[in-house]
This record gives sequence, C-alpha cells and structure tokens, in this order.
Amino acid sequence: MAGLTDSLGALLGLPYTDVVVLLGAVVLGVTSGVLGAFAVLRRRSLVGDAISHSTLPGVCLAFLLAGAKDVPGLLVGAAIAGLAAAVLMVGAERLGLPADTAIGVVLSGFFCLGIVLLTYIAGSGNADQAGLGNYLFGQAAGLLISDVAVMAGIGAVALATVVVGRRALTATLFDPAHAAALGLRVRLVEIGMTVLLVVAVVIGVRLVGAILMVAMLVVPTVVARQFVNRLHQVLVLAGAAGAVVGAVGALAATRAQLPTGPVVVLVGVTLALVAVAFAPGRGAIWQAQALARRRRRSRDEALLSDPHAPDRSLMDRYRRTTLRRRGLLADDGSTLTPRGRQQVEDLSERRSLWSAWLAHGWRLDLPDAREPDPHDLAGSLGPQALDQLRRLAATAGGTR
Amino acid sequence: MTPAVHVIENVATIPSALHPAMDIRGLTVSYRAAPVLWEVAATFPAGQLSAIVGPNGAGKSTLLKAALRVVPADAGRVRIAGIEGAAALDHVAYVPQTASVDWDFPITAGEVVAMGRYRAAGWFRRLSRADRTIAAQCLERVGMAGYARRQIGQLSGGQRQRIFVARALAQQARVLLMDEPFSGIDTRTQVDLLALFRELCAAGDTVIAVHHDIGQVRECFDWALLLNVRSLGCGPVASVLTPAAVTEAYGGGRGLAWPA
Repeated sequence: MAGLTDSLGALLGLPYTDVVVLLGAVVLGVTSGVLGAFAVLRRRSLVGDAISHSTLPGVCLAFLLAGAKDVPGLLVGAAIAGLAAAVLMVGAERLGLPADTAIGVVLSGFFCLGIVLLTYIAGSGNADQAGLGNYLFGQAAGLLISDVAVMAGIGAVALATVVVGRRALTATLFDPAHAAALGLRVRLVEIGMTVLLVVAVVIGVRLVGAILMVAMLVVPTVVARQFVNRLHQVLVLAGAAGAVVGAVGALAATRAQLPTGPVVVLVGVTLALVAVAFAPGRGAIWQAQALARRRRRSRDEALLSDPHAPDRSLMDRYRRTTLRRRGLLADDGSTLTPRGRQQVEDLSERRSLWSAWLAHGWRLDLPDAREPDPHDLAGSLGPQALDQLRRLAATAGGTR
Repeated sequence: MTPAVHVIENVATIPSALHPAMDIRGLTVSYRAAPVLWEVAATFPAGQLSAIVGPNGAGKSTLLKAALRVVPADAGRVRIAGIEGAAALDHVAYVPQTASVDWDFPITAGEVVAMGRYRAAGWFRRLSRADRTIAAQCLERVGMAGYARRQIGQLSGGQRQRIFVARALAQQARVLLMDEPFSGIDTRTQVDLLALFRELCAAGDTVIAVHHDIGQVRECFDWALLLNVRSLGCGPVASVLTPAAVTEAYGGGRGLAWPA
C-alpha cells in the first residue's frame, strides 16, 4: 500500500497526504456508489440517511466504552449502531408503523443520542477526544494509509458479494413476488442489501460525515441511471461517478482547508443536477424538447387541416408564420399552397390508417408483437400489413 | 444410500399426468384477524385452461401467492403436479400482476425473460448457453424477439405482459399461475396470449389464470374456481359459473341471505 501511495504520488505530482486522501475518497466513492444503488432502486434512500445518522452514537460509545481512538475501532462502533438502527426500522415497519415514520423516529433518536454523547465527551476533558467531531461533517485530513487499507478491504468484500449475488439481488429488486415464487429467500436478500448499505455508510462516514453521507449513497445512482438502462451498467457507472465525486471533492476540500463532507457533496449534487438536466433521453431538457416537438406537430396539423380558423394563441400565430415560411401556407397565411394541400392529404391518409388500426389492428397478421408509430404507420408496420389494414378497413366500411 | 431408494425418490418428484395440475385442500390464509381465504378446496386438472373468478378482495391473488409459498398459509396444503412443499416450485411458473412492478427499473426485456432460468441454472451460477437459448426461444414465442435489448419500461402494456409470460415460459414448468394476465392490455395481445395458453394446454401443460371478465371465461376457458374467501364451486365452467352461483359470489344475494 505504501509503495502504491508513493508511486501514485510521483505520478500525479501530489504530496503523500493528498494521495492518502485521494485513495480514501476513491474507495468511499466506489463503495457508496455501487452499494447505494441498492437503496435507491428499492426506494429506500432515506433508510440510508437514517443509518448514516445513527452511526454517530456508535462512534461515541466505541470511544467511551472501548477506548477506541483509531479509525477502524471507531468504525466498528459505527457499524454496530448502524445495524441496530436498521433492525429497529425493519422491526417497526413489521409492527405496522409506516416506513417514513419509522425512519424519522430512528434517525432523530439515534442522532440526538450521538450529539449528547459528543457534547459529554467534549466536556469531559479527555485529551484524546479531538477529532470525534469529524464524524459529523467528515474530514479527510488526518486519514492514515492503514485506515484506507481497512476501508478498501471491507469494500472489496462487499463488492465481491454484489458480484456473486447479482442474480438474487436483481430478481429481488425488480420483482420480489416472482423471485419468491422462484424459491428465492427474498427476505434474506433484503436483509443482505441492508447490511451492504450499512457497510457503505461505515466506509464513508469518516470522510463525508454522518449528516451528509446519504448524498454519496444517492447521487452516483441518480447520475448513472440518467445514462444507462441495465443494472450492471448502473452499478459500474455509479461506482465511477462516486469515485470521481469523492476524489475531486476530497482534494478540493483539503486544499481549501474546508470540511470534506460538504465539499464532496456539493461536487456530487452539481454532477447530479447536470445529469438530470442534460442527459440525452432521460434529461429534463431533452424531455422538454421532445414534448415541445410533439405539441408543435399537433398544432401544425390542426392549423393545416383548418387553415381559416382564427388563431387562439400567440403560439398559433407563430406556427402559422413558420408554416408560411416552409411553403405550406400561402402569403395570406390562411390558404394552402399545393405543397400544403399535399401535406393535408398525407395527414388525412395517416389519420384514417390510424383509426383503421385502432378498429382492426388486432386482426392483422404481423410477424411479431410490433406496435405502430402513429406518425409512421407504414414504416413501423411494413407494406404487407399496411395493405391488409387498408383491405380490412375497406371491407368493414363496405359492410356497414 | 442404496440405488433402489434413489430410484424411488426420483419417482416421487416426477410430475405425472395422473396427478391434478394443482390440488388445494383446506387452505386458510389471513393477513390480519379475518381470513382472506377460508378453508378453500379446489382441484385443477392437467391440460385444462382454468380461471379463478371472484369479486375484488375475494382472495384470488392471495390464493396464487399461497400456492407459490410467497405468502404463508395458516392451514391447508397445496399440491402442484402431485408434489407438496418447496420442491413443487420446480413445476410451477408465476406471472404476477404487472401493476406491482417498478417499470423504470434498469433492466432489459431479454434480462427479465432470462430470470425465468435462474432457479434451474442455480442462483450463483452463470447462465449456460442452453439457458440463453431457452430464453431466446420464449421471447420468440411471444413475438418479442426483436425487443430483447429494450428497457422494460419502454415497452407498451401488452408487450410488458408478453415479456412476463415469456419469463414464465422460460421456467419450462408444467403449471403456469397467472394473476390477471389480461388486465390493462390491448385486444391483439389478449388474442395472442389466449391462443398461446390454448396451445400450452393442448400440449398437456396447465394454465390457471385469475380473470375478472366472466364473459370471456365462459366463452374461452375449460375450468373455473369461483372464489369469495371460500370456494363457491370448482369444476367445468358451465357447471360452476351458473347465474345463481355468480350472483352469490358477487354479493347480489346478500339482501336475501342477510335479512334486515
């Protein structure tokens, strides 16, 4: 590990301490990115939030009871408290308490206990207590390479579990009833996912802090889901996104002497906002454009089929101008040009085909379960099916 | 273990045409105090297209889930192809209600169908080439071969249902339990699925579907269980879905049964 740190430092031209921070942040980012996906995709993100808040009293008790001062020792306390919180939430839910209520009670209860203990420790004059406060907002500075090695070891085991159990995890996430009917012990898999979530929190809580850890669980999956459509791709991309966010944030924070957690999370949230806005296909801008295109198209078709109708909105006037510029309407803005008439004919042909599909479509001999695009029936159904559809419509019209 | 014992054990786990596809005795299930299913007895013969019919809250979905051991039963037993217990899951496939699934989940249609092979292949083993071939054939059989790489949510309601049926087919089970396979889908898919179910039954498999359209059950199904918490008849459609029995199941007879 030391050799790796040195060579990485030489490669990036960074001092030793920065390299340790960087490695720690990457370990944090990959594990929380991958494991957090199992909370987000199960719609249990807030369970991750409650677990991370709940680690605080565990850290304090580990310090008070066991005298632990090193990071791994304190993280054992964090893990126990996180698991206890998870068990309480599951238990409360089983007793019929709504999930959000259980989360709210457990989160605030554990976190308050943590704050009380933290204040008590600070007032006790114990010389070793400096640094416990870091578990609130996270601190990358002061991390030892041995701490990073422990984090990486635990993370590797957790990630290996995901790889080995990926089929059981996927089946449970997507369709638990069907997974159970395949004989899978779904409840056991769900417990496993919660344990993985605790592992992710414990690995990250020293760097990002109990309060903000949830962002590192959620953000990478939000980013990844914007770009890919398959679970293994989401997991890989979420791990990568987490690593980038962790590395950039942690380095920026140590350089600027700011608390690590908030800076990391700011980087992550920025990335998530960009992904939600700009991702092709799923992004907000892309979707808004697609909707606007559909509406324009409907407006244009309505205007062309009844060009003498008065404009009812500014949009109508704007579309009329555009249609004129495209040579579909004459200069008076209400008479069809020959090309415009052609367009209207095509349109009414499409409409009659579409209503024929709605009435008789189920009787067509299609080679597979294809469904037509209303704007391009001919292209999506194929010429043979189209002929058959025309015949069906004609016969039905004749016998009526 | 002697070879002789081994042979006998194997015989006991082979589904036989002699056994009914599904046989239910005294099944009682309750989520809370009042039972959702109460001492239900029903037999579904092999090779019959069978329907489970009853009003909302009659326990139709619960009956399927209890038979599949997805929800625990308070009492009673379920035999599938003559086999009781967890081993019966080898011979039964399930199509859950499509409303219960998160369609935005990052998974492709092909991956969903491949899930049908998970139990046979082993949860921790890579799917074999044979498993992939079976999944591909099942996709083809429901007319969805060209859609394997689509994210499941990008498909229409009818296409999603086809994928779910293909996943059940991929299990290569002799008994298929389906929860409202015809609800929320287009006419074309209904026609295609009904023809597929008929084909399966003609080949000796058994399809048991929860269905809300009594007219269609009368017209197209062979066998029916009329259910409203308790069983109100199980047998050939014509003898079970009599107007009087349906009225009783759907509560039309309440006013007579419970004088004011």
